[in-house]
Amino acid sequence: MIRLAFRNLFQNKARLAISVGGVALALLLILSLDAVFTGVERQITAYIEYSDADVWVSQAGVLNMHMASSSLPDSVARKVRAVPGVASVTPILYLTNNVVYEDERNLAYIIGLPESAEMGGPWKVSSGRSLPGKSEAIIDRTIAEKAGIKMGDEVEILGEEFEVTGLSEGTASLVNSVAFISMDDFEDLRGNYGTFSFLLVKVLEGESPELVAARIQAQVRDVTVQTREGFARQERRVVQDMSTDVVTIMNLIGFLIGLAVMALTVYTSTLSRRREYGMLKALGARNTDLYLTVLAQAILSVILGFLVGLVLTLLLTVVVPIFGSNLALEVSRASLLKVASVSVVIAAVSAMLPIRQIAGLDPAMVFRGR
Amino acid sequence: MSLARRNLFQDKTRLALSIGGVALAVMLILVLKGFLAGMNRQITSYLDRSPGSIVVAEEDVVNLLGATSLLPEGVDEKAERIRGVEEVTPILSQFIILELHEKKQPAYMVGYDPELGGGPWQLVAGREPRSKKEMVFDRVLAQRHNLTLGDRVEVMGQDFTIVGLSSGTTSWMTSFFFVRKQDAENLLLAPGATSFLLLTTSDGADLDKILKRFNDFSDVNALTKREMAANDLKLFARIFSAPLKLMVGIAFLVGTMIVGLIIYTATVERQREYGVIKAIGGKNRFLYQVVVTQALFASIAGSFLGILLANGTAQWIMSARPQFLIVFDPVDSGQALLAGLGMALIASIFPTRVVARLAPAEVFRK
Amino acid sequence: MTNVSQVQDETLQIAHVTKRYGAGSTEVTAVHDVSLSVSPGEIVLIMGPSGSGKTTLLSMLGALLKPTEGTIQLNGTMISALEENRLPDIRLKQFGFIFQDFNLLSALTALENVAIVGELAGAKSGEAKRKAASLLTELGLGERLNFPPEKLSGGEKQRVAIARALVNDPRLILADEPTANLDSKIGHEIMRLLRNIAKEQGRSVVIVSHDQRIKDIADRVLWLEDGEFKETVTMAIDPVCGMSVEREKAVSLESEGQDYYFCAQGCRDEFKNKLKSAL
Repeated sequence: MIRLAFRNLFQNKARLAISVGGVALALLLILSLDAVFTGVERQITAYIEYSDADVWVSQAGVLNMHMASSSLPDSVARKVRAVPGVASVTPILYLTNNVVYEDERNLAYIIGLPESAEMGGPWKVSSGRSLPGKSEAIIDRTIAEKAGIKMGDEVEILGEEFEVTGLSEGTASLVNSVAFISMDDFEDLRGNYGTFSFLLVKVLEGESPELVAARIQAQVRDVTVQTREGFARQERRVVQDMSTDVVTIMNLIGFLIGLAVMALTVYTSTLSRRREYGMLKALGARNTDLYLTVLAQAILSVILGFLVGLVLTLLLTVVVPIFGSNLALEVSRASLLKVASVSVVIAAVSAMLPIRQIAGLDPAMVFRGR
Repeated sequence: MSLARRNLFQDKTRLALSIGGVALAVMLILVLKGFLAGMNRQITSYLDRSPGSIVVAEEDVVNLLGATSLLPEGVDEKAERIRGVEEVTPILSQFIILELHEKKQPAYMVGYDPELGGGPWQLVAGREPRSKKEMVFDRVLAQRHNLTLGDRVEVMGQDFTIVGLSSGTTSWMTSFFFVRKQDAENLLLAPGATSFLLLTTSDGADLDKILKRFNDFSDVNALTKREMAANDLKLFARIFSAPLKLMVGIAFLVGTMIVGLIIYTATVERQREYGVIKAIGGKNRFLYQVVVTQALFASIAGSFLGILLANGTAQWIMSARPQFLIVFDPVDSGQALLAGLGMALIASIFPTRVVARLAPAEVFRK
Repeated sequence: MTNVSQVQDETLQIAHVTKRYGAGSTEVTAVHDVSLSVSPGEIVLIMGPSGSGKTTLLSMLGALLKPTEGTIQLNGTMISALEENRLPDIRLKQFGFIFQDFNLLSALTALENVAIVGELAGAKSGEAKRKAASLLTELGLGERLNFPPEKLSGGEKQRVAIARALVNDPRLILADEPTANLDSKIGHEIMRLLRNIAKEQGRSVVIVSHDQRIKDIADRVLWLEDGEFKETVTMAIDPVCGMSVEREKAVSLESEGQDYYFCAQGCRDEFKNKLKSAL
């Protein structure tokens, strides 16, 4: 009966294409939306993950970098340096501004780096220097390419001209990018209030970042201390919490569409084979034998649809970045699992109509309708 | 046409499913577009409802909701002295992440002086902040987290008390909340700082001239509120347009496929009938009409149903999740109908080719 | 007409079977008080005009329909009294069906069409395929095992159907207009096959048909009209010219307790002369 399901399915190529295609597209809706958000999560945590810092210190109550602002007095750097287990600290200045070239503006996180900063700078440069000197800026390569900015060109940041002396990799996201200038320049332009934004901390060899973080939190007032992993997790949560409702709605819609297409095709397929199924009943096939066939057809279609949808999504993850919109898609395991379960439900539910059709088939019909 | 109708109605379930499929596709397209339209309205709500017609920002800043803006000292005095400027409203604003019930909620803090304006434009409860650490919170956001007047919310480590609830100040991504400018300065450790100046001009004032005066100053950038709002829209559109177009495209394809399947199988299963018609002299054109009519009927009925469904779904989404705003305008509905028609026509192509190739002798084949 | 012998090993026994449809003023009696016995190896042909109830009768014989009154016994089992859930097994193993439209599964090959019925009855896939292959080869389709039905001629399709009907070794074969869609030469072949199945394999064959030529192979011909058997005709072979003749209408001769039937006086005379010269 499984073989019959197989053969029935592949006999009508057009119908198979539509059922597989419809399911694939419906699942593509869900998978691609998930992939967009996962990709964004990955991008916005890149700076933190690659910063080389074990622990991050921010203003009390500030747990995020995106869509947040943090300010700490200079004295905090001294206090943190004195905490046992701390190997080195690097303060950075940070705010959201634009990198302007000719008429084009690119939203960017501007990081002000101290001289010979150990941490907090670009982790990979495709050309030029990896630390900005006076009046120099390091900007993201993909942003530069899109705007036609080359090494040595002048861009305007915080109202001042900077020479591009380095192009960094991995520092762009769908929303904005990261640009690096020297802390001195930053303070010149924004005013030196004796503060900095974040403190990046490296712990001594053999020390546990969690313990050192806890120590800093206990010994220094008015700060929030997080491990790199903890900080990254907070950032991801911003995207996750914001996207939950949208994702749920899209999941529902995708599910309904997939169900509609599957139910339709399995129904029309069973309908067109009524005579054959009726005849099988006359020959002695049990209802359950026929249910199995119809169910197998539904499951096979959905499996194929799932695979095609997955391949299409993976294709998108490869193709979309080529179009340079900095939209990066990433398929997560959780997303795959969710879509797989959705597929199973679709297969089961869509098989119900034809099962009822078959149950009602009168084997004596094999003689009628001549 | 009666042949078409008879064919299609002969199988009620198939008809229902085909209409349903198109309806779902059209509904999805409409809801997506309505979502985008609603989001755009929410994004520009502050600029739309705040005082003034000109915004003065830091040099190179053209968005309200993009880059941080910090104006150099003394700009507000300079502004007051410019001819045509009647009122100057300074605000200090910044994106903040609030932690509400363990959920991260991005919010846009506006620090303003209640006497000068720039705060909430519609209060549904309570009052504006008068003293330290008081805030006006968005009503929908408060409802989502069971907050009300008198409750405390932590902002950057400090507790603020909700003294007023505003409406029209939320979106699915962020919400606006309002505190006194001084409190904002304290939080951001930036005493006396100002992000933007909202300028109210006198009647008949020459806006262009005023803008030019400002842009002659270094360190600032002046633009009309409308321009700034448009920039904000562009910024968000850039982010959302690609995924949105993708979804709309997929929805259209799905609708087409469903109608196509119905018409195709109906056509194939009636090959003999059509063959007979051809054998007795019926022309291809007549049969094309039959096929296209079937597709059109399913699509039009499906489109109308889709529009109804979209409205119903939008109502349901907005009542279940009030932070979403979905607005439909007649243009979108018209486009949806067109989309439905488009689906019908494309879906008819393959089946009509089957019909065209039918030889009248088909009827005699076993 | 009823067959008087009530031997226990009769394959099929139907007694006073009636089928009524509808109720009250719209009631229709499709089959009325029909009785019949069929022995192993016997070929019974049921003929009659359209609407005579042949299809209804055949459906009941095939356990596709329950009689309103009367009993149907197959191999000793009262199938008319069985619950629906026991019937598939009976249908699979106790009889085989052959249809006018062949009714092969379009998506399967000839071999698979036959094998699937074996699998439904519980045979393992390999075993079912082997049996199917051997049956099809016996029927001359050894070269066509992997052909789909659309690539087979009418006669080949009917042979596949016959193989399918035989795969579970049933004692009764039911055929509905088996030659209606075949030309005369092929029709003959199919008739010959059916006769072999009955005579050489000892199965009972009940055929419902308009086709007069089937009389040639039938042992008995029954005429069904308005739901009742109007006439039974028993067939015999003329020993002189080999033609099939209806006993009831033929010229006959009795010799040493044996009845002989002839197509015409001429053959009878010839036979008589042969006998005389033998004496």
